[in-house]
Amino acid sequence: MVPPKAWVVINFSLGLVIVLLLLNLLGINLPSLGQVQYVLDREPPLCLAYWQGHYESWTDLDSCCLEAYKQLNCFFHQQNLEQGRVDWVCRTGESSVSYGLNAKAYRYCQQQSYWR
Amino acid sequence: MKMDNLKSKHKIVKKGRWTIHEKTFFVLIILVLILGGMNIAKARGLLIPFSPTPIVEDRTIELSSLTLDQKIAQMVVVHGSTWNMEQWKKMQVGGIHFFALKDAQLYEQTIIEYQKGMKVPFMVTADLEGCWNPFSYFHNFTALSEINTTEQAYQVGAEEGRFLHTLGFTLDFSPVVDLKDEIWKCRSFTGDKAQVTALAQAYIKGLQSQGVAATAKHYPGKTLVVQDPHKYIVAAEIDSADVYPFQLLAEGKELKGVMVSHIISSGAVDSGGKPAVVSSQALKSLRSEFNGIIFSDEVNMLGLKNYYSSLDDLYFDVFSSGNDVVVNFNEDPNEIYRMIQIVKKGVQEGKLSSEQIDASVKRILELKGFRVV
Repeated sequence: MVPPKAWVVINFSLGLVIVLLLLNLLGINLPSLGQVQYVLDREPPLCLAYWQGHYESWTDLDSCCLEAYKQLNCFFHQQNLEQGRVDWVCRTGESSVSYGLNAKAYRYCQQQSYWR
Repeated sequence: MKMDNLKSKHKIVKKGRWTIHEKTFFVLIILVLILGGMNIAKARGLLIPFSPTPIVEDRTIELSSLTLDQKIAQMVVVHGSTWNMEQWKKMQVGGIHFFALKDAQLYEQTIIEYQKGMKVPFMVTADLEGCWNPFSYFHNFTALSEINTTEQAYQVGAEEGRFLHTLGFTLDFSPVVDLKDEIWKCRSFTGDKAQVTALAQAYIKGLQSQGVAATAKHYPGKTLVVQDPHKYIVAAEIDSADVYPFQLLAEGKELKGVMVSHIISSGAVDSGGKPAVVSSQALKSLRSEFNGIIFSDEVNMLGLKNYYSSLDDLYFDVFSSGNDVVVNFNEDPNEIYRMIQIVKKGVQEGKLSSEQIDASVKRILELKGFRVV
């Protein structure tokens, strides 16, 4: 015999699941934890393009995100450079351009709909 | 008789014992199952209808035999991921673009799998421009900035074309003809406008000699210069030198494609305060000089999205402004399908002419080697 209080909890949880399933079905996205972190992070986003020992800041963050995503992998690798601190590196091979992003920029990239 | 009476009595009693909590639970669990099933169906693209198989005879396609959905789908290039392959094939999108993979075999196999059974094959695209190299895990190429002569440019173009053709690619979003590359310092040719144009021309000849179409980018220029952050969307003053390579290459009639950037341009090419990619003013200016395929740069960027209050308006504008092919790497096939439906609605409501759609589809199919009637 399930106590009435437990029924209330179960049914409330199911109701919540229904709301989430409905939102997903209708394509309505709730703000994620990453988005909240992105808003709260006061540090400016930083994207650096790296090629042959040379780092250059790329202020077109949208394009930077897309190019970073196109690389074979992104991994956490903190470095302090002249242009600022980099937390993530996205790259494919040694001979082509790779990208360094700080945490703020990386979170921005994660909000892009192609980013999985 | 007695037993029957007892049974029915028992049923009534049992029925009566269902509390409000149990009844609510039963209704909710049914709803969870239905909605869960619909979500799974949506995620697997099962809600997207199949497009009819196009009728192709002797490499000839009758344009009127394609549905409006099929025509608009042909105008879309998506990310050629393996997890969405069935949905892209079902929708018959025009092209698939590949990012970095670990080896050549993986590219070959995936492309073969994609093209299998397609009456109208996919345009298979890559971003190979020397130092921008999705294949760099297993193959290196010369950076465009390291090319000094037209002979060398032709050879590099031919080498890249041969490599791409072997893997199954049909189009390269290259070369960059922006006059300056202040960010990577490797993506564009060096020299003045005439030298850059001559090197690009030779590179294009080399690339296309191997059956891989070239795309000059990024119209109208100045996309590779260091800018101040401006809400993540970039504005630039374009002068006549910036558009010179595009004009000259277009005149040569060999160039197959031009890619338009998100830059808000003023000066020699005025995008009217809008990003060039959605500006009919900027695209009209390009179309007056160029009869090949106009590609949008990837549209799925927050900066461009934030320019619009609704994504539907962005989708509509990027088609109606005059792009022949819209590059959209959204990984959700339902979203790509939705984009197609928005454009379709625009055509049906007379906001976008079907002639414009037909002209774009004709260019695309001709690039794929079909005769279009």
